[in-house]
Amino acid sequence: MNDSSMKPHPEEPSAPPAGAHDERIAEALAHYLDWQAAGEEASLDRLRGLYPELGGELQSELATIAGLDRVLSEPPAAPASPPSEPLPERLSGCRILGEIGAGGMGRVLLALDERLGRKVAIKTLSRRLRESASVRTRFMNEARAMARLNHPNVARIYSLGSAEEEPHFVMEYVEGTPLTETARAMSVRQKADLLREVALAVDFLHRRGIVHRDLKPANILVGPDLEPKVLDFGLARQVEDSAARVTHPGEILGTPAYFAPEQTQGDLTVDARTDVFALGAIFYEMLTGELPFPAGDLAEQLYRIRESDPVLPRRINRDVPGDVQNVCLKALEKKPADRYQSAHELAADLERFLAGEAVLASPSSYSRVMSGRIGQHLRELEGWKRDRILSDSEYDSFRRLYDRLIEREDAWIMEVRRLSLPQVTLYLGAWLLAVGAALVWLFRYRTLSGFTAIFTVALAAAPALWIGVRDWRRSRFRIAVAFLLAFCLLLPIFCVVTMAELGLFAAVAQGKEEWEFLFQFPSIKRTTNAQLWWALFVSLPAYYWLRRFTKSSVFSLVMAFMGALLCGATMLRMGMLEWLESDPGRVYFRLIPFALLFFAAGFAIERLRYVSDSRYFYPVAVVFTFIALSGVATFHEPYAEWLRRALPWTRGQIEYLFVINAGIYFALHRLCDHFPSAQLRGVAKAFRFVIPGHDLTSLPLLGLEATRRWQDSPADAGLRFEARTFEILLPAVACFFVFASISRQMKNYLATGLLFLAIGAVRLQQNWLKDHSAWPAALLLAGIVLMIGAANYASLRLALRRWLRRPNP
Amino acid sequence: MPGAVTSTYGLIERARAGDQEAFAELFHSYRRRLAVLVHYQLSPALRGTLEIDDILQETFLRAFRDLRSFRYESPGSFMRWLARVAQHVIVDTARYHGRRQRQAGEQVPLRDAGDSGGPEPADSRTPSRLLREAEGLRALLVQFDALPPDYREVILLSKVEGLSTAEVAERLGRTRQATAVLLHRAVKRLREVRERLPQT
Repeated sequence: MNDSSMKPHPEEPSAPPAGAHDERIAEALAHYLDWQAAGEEASLDRLRGLYPELGGELQSELATIAGLDRVLSEPPAAPASPPSEPLPERLSGCRILGEIGAGGMGRVLLALDERLGRKVAIKTLSRRLRESASVRTRFMNEARAMARLNHPNVARIYSLGSAEEEPHFVMEYVEGTPLTETARAMSVRQKADLLREVALAVDFLHRRGIVHRDLKPANILVGPDLEPKVLDFGLARQVEDSAARVTHPGEILGTPAYFAPEQTQGDLTVDARTDVFALGAIFYEMLTGELPFPAGDLAEQLYRIRESDPVLPRRINRDVPGDVQNVCLKALEKKPADRYQSAHELAADLERFLAGEAVLASPSSYSRVMSGRIGQHLRELEGWKRDRILSDSEYDSFRRLYDRLIEREDAWIMEVRRLSLPQVTLYLGAWLLAVGAALVWLFRYRTLSGFTAIFTVALAAAPALWIGVRDWRRSRFRIAVAFLLAFCLLLPIFCVVTMAELGLFAAVAQGKEEWEFLFQFPSIKRTTNAQLWWALFVSLPAYYWLRRFTKSSVFSLVMAFMGALLCGATMLRMGMLEWLESDPGRVYFRLIPFALLFFAAGFAIERLRYVSDSRYFYPVAVVFTFIALSGVATFHEPYAEWLRRALPWTRGQIEYLFVINAGIYFALHRLCDHFPSAQLRGVAKAFRFVIPGHDLTSLPLLGLEATRRWQDSPADAGLRFEARTFEILLPAVACFFVFASISRQMKNYLATGLLFLAIGAVRLQQNWLKDHSAWPAALLLAGIVLMIGAANYASLRLALRRWLRRPNP
Repeated sequence: MPGAVTSTYGLIERARAGDQEAFAELFHSYRRRLAVLVHYQLSPALRGTLEIDDILQETFLRAFRDLRSFRYESPGSFMRWLARVAQHVIVDTARYHGRRQRQAGEQVPLRDAGDSGGPEPADSRTPSRLLREAEGLRALLVQFDALPPDYREVILLSKVEGLSTAEVAERLGRTRQATAVLLHRAVKRLREVRERLPQT
């Protein structure tokens, strides 16, 4: 039946037209209902005063309405447990001693188990709820579920009440004080240790599908042995089976002071991280003695939980170490995804603190404060950049630094970067693993050969992978990364050893032993290029998987590095060693496609929004480009031949080729600068950086060559002109680079320009202006003029402008 | 009932001053009406996934938060205002839920069909504790379901939302007289339905 339709019906229902009598009744009824709606006295007597003729019919209508009202209005505020309800004499054979507390669900009674002579607590269901069979079932089901739990820090359930008695269950009676009260006299370390135990107990509940939902100091009692006990699962609910929950039906709120933001927002998905928040709030109170979100009334309370950041604990209590504060604030993150993802993670971080290690927590409230301030500063910097106080590159480098500050970088990355004794040892171990495996691969052993060799390397690689993956899952990222990186190195070694021992791809390429790289070293086991290539190639998917599994870009670095090696192996298979002997230029020429490949890879990965991954591919591409172009210019015969034919006056000199390279770099620089990507701007900067060096070293070399030629045949006017041209060109181009440094604030242009200007001045003095004392004098004069001019730049410019604007007489 | 007027008004004033208990008491008396309204405003699909109690709790929180924006006009105005807040909550929750559902891709069924320790039949339609416990209320829903939609609607507006007949008429786009007749017939039919259906 479609019972949700609330649309008005313009048509009268399929009913006969109302008679006058019916209309009269309807009118009376409407009156009655309006009195009710207005809160006035509505009674049959009053109605009879107005409609004396209507008797019995009205009565039955009003009875229906009264019945409706009865059901719709709540039974007058029923206290959870009416004081009138007497205490039972005995329950489950225990003598009831008194009442410990009462809540929405029912009461908690203190009782004595006379058989065992111990005090117990008995939880009962309030009379009101007892009547509903479904609530009763649920109450007992929950008790049954809880009775299965056995943890030293979780209150035990001893037994369930029998069906004949009122619904109840018998649980451990915990004599103790609320957690925050106990904590008052403790040191920070003791508090952290205590909370760690509580967090582990809560994690125990979570692992069994129970979210407590109402963690508060009063629900965590600490006994005289300082062992905390978590109790009262009144609001607890089985995470997996949300239908089977028993909560306080009469109660709307739990304890808002320890509520998580999602609990205040009608977010229907409350999970383990909600309890993590409550643990954070409790920890905050333990550390500072104050609530994290103090408020005068409920509305303010809810608002503050949702919106405000707590006062930093260190502001309230200076004894709280920064690390502990971080742990506390991370548990109190507004977004569940920013919190510890489990109570176990929280406990693990506290354990780290207790062991004197750095904690992983870096709460985002810091970075929020940071990013707020940095954002403002960046806006100022942008203004400065517009006003040309800052150059683009300076601005970029500021940005990079700031981004690094506010970047929500995984804590483990920072940990990995810190060179502590365990960290260095970890890496040393990983490296030794790789080196050891490499030795097994490279050298011949009588005992370590065949399957033994394969097995030995596998024995190193497999556990590295297993421990790495396991530790990653356990959030021990720092250790996991070391193991996984070791695995990354071991994997291709394992592959190559396997292939070598099994004789796979062992055939020498095209029968040319001189092509095989590792055949060149007689003391080393013979491994073919094909084997190297395949070993690297089959390893790449593993790196890709690791990148996906860990979501850590460090494996993209591995991929880029191994990719570069794979390119080397490809070249080896193509006969690189032979070319190096006969025609080295070809090696460098063949490198160009690989450089382009890496550019394309970097660009594609960046386009796919894996920016931090792409940054490992560009450097490889840039380095390949530099090596390839320089090598081609130096060694590639056809290139020089082409230049000689196209521009005969260059005589194919390699310096000209370097000048052309500089032109190529300039084009690449313009091209890369064109893309709106910080990574490619970095690439552009790298290309731009090498241009002055290429140009300004080529010019004096060309000049020296031209001068030598001219001196060989002094009568040749062409040679003389060429030599003189280069003598002038060097200082001129140097001057050009000096001024070219302005536009992009390129200090290397200024420095190389100045240096080569000096060289040019010396060469002019040596050759063209030999014995001319005017030359140094002119330089001195020019220097002083430029300096004085620069000192009065503003007024000079003004004067110049005025002079230019003056109308011609 | 002039006493009730002042008491509602007084409770609202106390709640405005930040008295949570006063507000809880106030809210408590409207809870069942809200539950019925919410029940009929949820689409059948949502009724299977959202808990009316959760919506009521959020309505409570939001109403308390926004209490300052409420203007007291008549005893019924508070219920009307609560109904409006509840409607916003439903819309937001449904939107949130829809989004989550899309993100999750598939939805975990709330109730297992083979759950032997499972709930009584009425539960499958109304997964709400409130409706479960108040057995009279559950029976009322069964009766309401048996009414033709326009009868049910007019009763919901008048008795549950607490509108005056003039307001109901306006809401339905009918004359007041036609509305009165409709109400009369609806009440009559409700009585018949009550007599016909077995009482739970």
